[in-house]
Amino acid sequence: METPRAVSRGKKVSRITQSYVLIGLIVALSVVATIVNPRFISINNIINVFQQIAVLGIVASGVGMLLVAGEIDISVGTQVSLIGVVLAFIIQTVTHIPAGSPGAWLTPFAIPLAVLAAFVLGALLGAINGITVIKSRAASFIITLGFSTVYSGISLIATGGGAYVLLGKFSTLGRGKILNILPVAIPIFIGVILISFVILKYTKYGRFLYAIGGNRKAAFVSGINTVRVTLTAFIVVGILDALAALILISQIGSALANSGDTYSLDALAAVIVGGMSLTGGRGTALSIFLGVVLIGLISNSLVIMQVNPFLRNVVIGAIIIVAVTAAQYSAERE
Amino acid sequence: MATFNIIETIGLSKSYPGVQALDSVDFDLRRGEVQALVGQNGAGKSTFVEIIAGAIRPDSGEIVFDGVVHPFLEPHRSIELGIQTVHQENQLVDELTVGENIYLFDLPHTPLGFVNQSTCFQVSERLLSELGISISPRKKIRELTFIEQKLVSIAKAFSRQARVLILDEPTASLDEQSRGILFDVIKRNTEKGLSVIYISHNLSEIYEICDRVTVFRDGKKIATHTVNEVGMGQIVHQMIGRASDFVYKRTREESPTERSPTLEVMDYHQPGVVEHVSFSVREGEIFGIGGLVGSGRTELARMIFGIDQKKTGRLLYDGKEVTPRSPHDAIRKGIGFLTEDRKSTGLVMGRPIFENISVVHFAKSGGLFLDLTKEHSDTEKMAQALDVKTPSTSRPVLTLSGGNQQKVVLAKWLFAESQVLIIDEPTVGIDIGAKREIYRMMDELAAEGKVIIMISSDNQELTAVSDRVGIMRGGALVAVLEGDEIDEETILRYAMGVGEED
Repeated sequence: METPRAVSRGKKVSRITQSYVLIGLIVALSVVATIVNPRFISINNIINVFQQIAVLGIVASGVGMLLVAGEIDISVGTQVSLIGVVLAFIIQTVTHIPAGSPGAWLTPFAIPLAVLAAFVLGALLGAINGITVIKSRAASFIITLGFSTVYSGISLIATGGGAYVLLGKFSTLGRGKILNILPVAIPIFIGVILISFVILKYTKYGRFLYAIGGNRKAAFVSGINTVRVTLTAFIVVGILDALAALILISQIGSALANSGDTYSLDALAAVIVGGMSLTGGRGTALSIFLGVVLIGLISNSLVIMQVNPFLRNVVIGAIIIVAVTAAQYSAERE
Repeated sequence: MATFNIIETIGLSKSYPGVQALDSVDFDLRRGEVQALVGQNGAGKSTFVEIIAGAIRPDSGEIVFDGVVHPFLEPHRSIELGIQTVHQENQLVDELTVGENIYLFDLPHTPLGFVNQSTCFQVSERLLSELGISISPRKKIRELTFIEQKLVSIAKAFSRQARVLILDEPTASLDEQSRGILFDVIKRNTEKGLSVIYISHNLSEIYEICDRVTVFRDGKKIATHTVNEVGMGQIVHQMIGRASDFVYKRTREESPTERSPTLEVMDYHQPGVVEHVSFSVREGEIFGIGGLVGSGRTELARMIFGIDQKKTGRLLYDGKEVTPRSPHDAIRKGIGFLTEDRKSTGLVMGRPIFENISVVHFAKSGGLFLDLTKEHSDTEKMAQALDVKTPSTSRPVLTLSGGNQQKVVLAKWLFAESQVLIIDEPTVGIDIGAKREIYRMMDELAAEGKVIIMISSDNQELTAVSDRVGIMRGGALVAVLEGDEIDEETILRYAMGVGEED
């Protein structure tokens, strides 16, 4: 009768090692990169890595929390692109309203207006995704894949294949540095991760996400408003996509129709590699953080080791396949 | 009628850890006969037919098929011999045609490997008309009615030269007319020499279609009768046997007083599911609900708890309206629902024990943040009070035994301070020791003044634990037994609709 003890000890160990394996991988990768090119370990490069992963980290936080509830949003990248396009469009247009014309008084408010629009749009896109997924009862992966194409199409129509440019405006968020050394994006990224940590670990809402992802029917019978919790998670994804878009467009200085598209797969890859379960109910903010760092390091180390940077996709793809296979095996052992 | 037996079994036994599922069964099935197998849940009917179908190997004994002795059968061997099972659930492929489904295992094909549709339709058309089933082989399964699908399943069984057909509750959810069609097909084919093993809970239909009936109880064959020579009462009596000692004897002596506040279930109704059910339960009382599987008990519980739709139905507690609109609403009104399937609707198996215990409480209360320290110590206390055996409440629920999982389900509803507990099948899949503990807890909870509604298919359990027992049949509450009226036989009679005067 006391076998449960042994079983659970084995499980506990395997969960902790998942984070250890990631940390081990990150250290190993850093060591190799440093040996090949000592510049890798310099403060500048480390700051550089974190600046590069800040946007991904923010997007992945939303994707990760949603995945805890067992839902996948594969449209996050095109959401970032679309929000970026709208943001840049408003800044460019409102700034250039000729003095004396009726809307000219708006010009000084171009940036607050654009930022507000970005967040509203983000929340709206999240709500559209969420409501459709809930109402259709179809797999969220497929529904959001459809929306991804829709958002991408709208971005293309809006830009006409060209770009909206910021002309030096709105650059602080992406390029500004605190004390001339720490890019503004990094504390924002760390802040989002910390908030995710608190939400997942210390709030009722976080607990409900785990319950829904772990067993939706049981969560419903336990009195959790599964519709509201799931919808909120989708809206949070949209809002974080808006924040990510602000930083990204500010960094680039212009918005193309596809500026953020790659984040869809990268964010999902990061949280899966970080140890979240594709079916939900498992993973923490640490999983999100470590997954994002690993994905970021792979890109950076390949560049710094002067390996063909296009190899990045091959490596990341391979890591996802290994991570999911390993997770599946350990799940089946249980 | 030929009296030569197609199947005989001699001393067939099968045991699982702690259970003698089948105990030295001697059985015979004649050619062209329809023989019913009856018995309560767990009597050994399913184990027996699964041995015949080759899905289970017996520990000892032998099976004689058509004069040849087999120590055991494999599924494919059993099929080769011509033994076919039609399961309760439809096992057809929705998107394929009737013909393709019938010959799915041996589809006629062209030399190039393509499916030869026209041959397939021709052969299945011939088979269907031989069986007297008028369904076009070109129709897709999803276009068929329920009875047509059932008939296709039977035709499929015949496509492989069935000599023995095992029908598991074939008339469940069929209406009168469809039943007639089915019986017609059975009769037509037994005249040609087919033998049928017919498992059913519906005794009256056994008199309609079967030649003999065999009663199982506790893994043993009790008797085989020719149906015209035995009354329903005697069959029921044999299914129950003499009163055996149950694992639990209630300790609570005094019954709740007349003045205690009462939960009133008023006129719950959803056409075809639950038919105008009303009853009331006092504080301190355990109200058992018996009936066969599919009689609407779980459906009633889900309606009361606000999960499923109902046409009418109100819930009053101590005279006040408390009809839940959703599970969340039910929980706020102090109602708890321990579902029959812990794994799929009761627990989040991969999450820690303490999270499972606290989840309803958190869903019920307001606020944003969790007090983890308080949560840990409070849930720990609750787990200890119910004697959940685990080294730590941080372990995932799936590391627990069935009995301890059930205690966690109970713990979560008590932690949320539920006043009314609806417990659906409280002891399915848990060992005797844990059963006894669960009963003791239910007794104590009733003594504390909770209102308990217990749904159970175990008539011994209903008899031993309940103050009163309501019995459902076909969605309606057909009787409520009190005091000395409560015994297994009476419960079973009402559940099966045997020998009612009214």
